[in-house]
Amino acid sequence: MNTARLSLSQTPPLTVPAPYLLAAPWFVVAAGLWLAVAPDAFADRWSSVLLGVTHLITLGFLAMAMLGAFQQLLPVLLGVPLGRPRALAWSVFLPLALGTLLLATGLGLAQKGLLLGALGLLGAALGVFLWRGGRALLRAPTVPGTTPAMRAALLALAVTITLGLHLAGGHAGGSVARQLTDVHLAWGLVGWVVLLVAGVAYQVVPMFQITPEYPRALMRWLVPVLLGALVSWSVARALIPAWAAAPAWLAALALVAFAVITLRLQMRRRRSLPDVTVEFWRLGMLCLLGAVALWLARPWIVGYDVLVGVLFVAGFAMSVVSGMLYKILPFLVWLHLNNRLHEHPPGQRGRIPTMKQIIGEASARRQYRAHALAVALLCAASVWPVVVRPAGLALALSGVLLGVNLADAIGVYRRTRAGTHPVPLG
Amino acid sequence: MAEHVLDVSELEPPEPLVRTLEAAEALAPGDYLRMLHRRDPCLLPDNLRSRGFCFQQRPGVRTAVEVFIWREGDALGEQAARQACDGP
Repeated sequence: MNTARLSLSQTPPLTVPAPYLLAAPWFVVAAGLWLAVAPDAFADRWSSVLLGVTHLITLGFLAMAMLGAFQQLLPVLLGVPLGRPRALAWSVFLPLALGTLLLATGLGLAQKGLLLGALGLLGAALGVFLWRGGRALLRAPTVPGTTPAMRAALLALAVTITLGLHLAGGHAGGSVARQLTDVHLAWGLVGWVVLLVAGVAYQVVPMFQITPEYPRALMRWLVPVLLGALVSWSVARALIPAWAAAPAWLAALALVAFAVITLRLQMRRRRSLPDVTVEFWRLGMLCLLGAVALWLARPWIVGYDVLVGVLFVAGFAMSVVSGMLYKILPFLVWLHLNNRLHEHPPGQRGRIPTMKQIIGEASARRQYRAHALAVALLCAASVWPVVVRPAGLALALSGVLLGVNLADAIGVYRRTRAGTHPVPLG
Repeated sequence: MAEHVLDVSELEPPEPLVRTLEAAEALAPGDYLRMLHRRDPCLLPDNLRSRGFCFQQRPGVRTAVEVFIWREGDALGEQAARQACDGP
């Protein structure tokens, strides 16, 4: 496995990803509570509450966590520092957080003023991120699989944002180009989410779950196949809809390949120690397979669009991102504490907490159970809308537990730095 | 003059780094550490340098990577580590 050499001095401060990672779970809580008080949310895929809740999760949780992690992982995995990282972090975080709240409430309550505010804030936040992240990625060394996937993910994010701003403008102006919604969805979920997850997975799964490396063929072909399929599917939908099926099947096969290979790698772990992140990933991959199967069956089985979305967003994307957070954040906390040891002369360097002391396995497992319950109830609610209320409460509970676990990790960092943690430093 | 072998190839980050630094700190004069790992230990170089160790890395036989580590200024340890690293 090739990774870029990491210089400890290039590691951005923990204050760069911390606001993103600490805030992300609370958007899940908001989404869950909103569902709990909106029994008609799953009535159909165009319900205004469902649109609002979906964006709380996709922008507030997924994009928030992924953008925060991206700003840390770019220097750590690829060795490319981002200039003035604190200023960049806050100039993206604040408008992203506020813009997400405005967009979700604007969509859910059909408030044009809120939507116009969201357009400006989200356009600014994501535009700044794309510009700075894209420039950094262009000069990044080629780490096989990871660098091309991250570049393609940013390209997909740019398409998603452009379409999203256009659609939100339509909601604000009263004329929504609904035929573009599926294209916006496909570029956001299959493009941005899957490609970034894959790019990070190539490094994180073998490294932290101690599996064999991903096959070179997958790392070589997943990006061109998915990007090619997305472009040709989008063009075909606009010009010759009958031709859209072939690229859709191609993309589906690529997703199945990624999921099956990931599951097989996890079955071949070198050490089978209990690790809740493996379970998050397993759940995620199984939900991805379920979403793809149900989506491919659309010509024969109608009325399950919401279930496809639930399986993909809550089942796949949220599971995998949560699993990554349980590795990435404790590792970053450990890394920053370890870097601070260098400030002490040799002989005066003490011990720092282990990964399992930063976020305990039992706490993470408790949250995993709440998350799995929420996914199951959300799936049920997409078929029997009467279950929406308990599904929303389970989602909110899962978000609270995740938020507490991640905040605890930052707490361990602060206490250890202050010398008040049970494991003394220095 | 002795070789100490440490296989960290089945450990999760940051344990390979932690165990390697602990083993390096325990080196006696003239000794060196042969660390076996499944991947390029990207955090190790800076950590070794800041603690006063030198190292040489090569593709491994049993694992993907082998790193030979000795104390800075320990001529005997360095000679033995380099011989081992340049050998089979």
